[in-house]
Amino acid sequence: MRRLYIHKFLIALLISSALSCPAFAQQRATNNAHGAAPKLTLPLKDGSLRFAVMGDTGSGSAKQREVGDMMVQYHQAFPFEFVLMMGDNLYGGEAPQDFEKKFAEPYKALLDQKIKFYATLGNHDLALQTHYENFNMNGKEYYRFKKGNVAFYSLNSNYMDKKQVQWLEDELSRDTSEWKVCFFHHPPYSSAKKHGSDSQLRDVVEPIFVKYGVDVVLTGHDHVYERIKPQKGIYYFVSGAGGQLRTGDVKETSPLIEKSYDRDMHFMLFEVVGDQMYFQAISRTGETIDSGVIARRKK
Amino acid sequence: MRQKRLLVAWCAILSVGSISAATAQDTAKAALAPPAVVSPADKTAIQIFEKQVKDYVALRNKVRENAPKLSKDSTPEQIQAYRTALELSVRNARPNAKRGDVFRPEAADYIRRTLKNEFQGQDRKELRETVLETETQGVVLRVNYPYAQSAELSEMPATLLAKLPQLPKEVRYRFVGRNMLLVDRESNVIIDFMPDALP
Repeated sequence: MRRLYIHKFLIALLISSALSCPAFAQQRATNNAHGAAPKLTLPLKDGSLRFAVMGDTGSGSAKQREVGDMMVQYHQAFPFEFVLMMGDNLYGGEAPQDFEKKFAEPYKALLDQKIKFYATLGNHDLALQTHYENFNMNGKEYYRFKKGNVAFYSLNSNYMDKKQVQWLEDELSRDTSEWKVCFFHHPPYSSAKKHGSDSQLRDVVEPIFVKYGVDVVLTGHDHVYERIKPQKGIYYFVSGAGGQLRTGDVKETSPLIEKSYDRDMHFMLFEVVGDQMYFQAISRTGETIDSGVIARRKK
Repeated sequence: MRQKRLLVAWCAILSVGSISAATAQDTAKAALAPPAVVSPADKTAIQIFEKQVKDYVALRNKVRENAPKLSKDSTPEQIQAYRTALELSVRNARPNAKRGDVFRPEAADYIRRTLKNEFQGQDRKELRETVLETETQGVVLRVNYPYAQSAELSEMPATLLAKLPQLPKEVRYRFVGRNMLLVDRESNVIIDFMPDALP
């Protein structure tokens, strides 16, 4: 009887030391929850700009956390510097516990590694989110920041007033950055059944994007993934399933679709190398659902 | 001769391209233009409306001094404390506020007519779809009380905002069904609302 206890103790000790062993821990981290190691299609070039994109995240659901966990695993293989959020950052309330459950907890591992999140406002987000320390909006509903040779514009598509339109035009007109990326919540182009293309927004912003050479537009709102066929030289993405999903919502016959996915949640990774922008969309379970490269527009 | 024809063809293609680009720009500008004709009576109604809004902003900015300061990198607790303090201060500062104080009948009538005239056919259909798809269950239309946090916010298209009297940054237009609201941007308090605004 005593020998049995000793055996049990030794086995427990063995398991516990194996789990705390750095090599084992690394193996655990490299393999995702579904058993597969992250499969990168991105070039991982020295000195490149790397970032992630996620949209419509703030549900606080278990699946949102699973997407967050997958982002952590991919971050180990592909150390991205920051994350762009496409809006609907907090659904259903904005008390302190909502910030915790729907943002701080799901992305804790990334926040602990000092990964910066840059948010935009969706139709479920109140204006005071702009003051939240982890959204890096500096109290502004629309703002610009620059990383390397890329200028990023976060817009408030929920309230596109004249002041914002004028600001966007003024900023873009004097922007000499090689790449110009705009991100906001409502998609000017979308093949989803629930919302679809926001033509009223498109009528106002697209001529400005075209005039001032915006290269890429990232959006959310529809809870699916979609890469739109380039429109007037601009690449549009819908990435609105980081914490919500509308299964089967994409109109498969839509002429806009270059690639779409509505079977699971996802996030995206981007890498900018000179005149090339590589992208990879990854599902909650680690499957690559789309990848490719965008060449910078001639200006 | 063949080269000349090719040159002419290229010129034609380029000019069509530049005309369509210019047309897109013009369309955007027209969409963002304010209503073209404003009668003297409407001008007066707009001026009174703008003054009411301005008075509200002056009052809320004064009582905002009672709220804790909010930095650009606040915690959720600080945000909540600020929002709650501002909401209470605004409510206490306008104890007799009621529907129609800001959207007076003349201004409400002007807004209804403007939206009806400026949005017709397909534009009206799209505007209605955008506004009416918003899930606003739980919103109680009550002046001086906040818009429910759990409810969705209607998208306010640029083309729509361009047609309405311009607001200072502290105040926002918002739709709940066909009702148009004026809401405090930070505290989310309903300042006033008018029915049947959406055509």
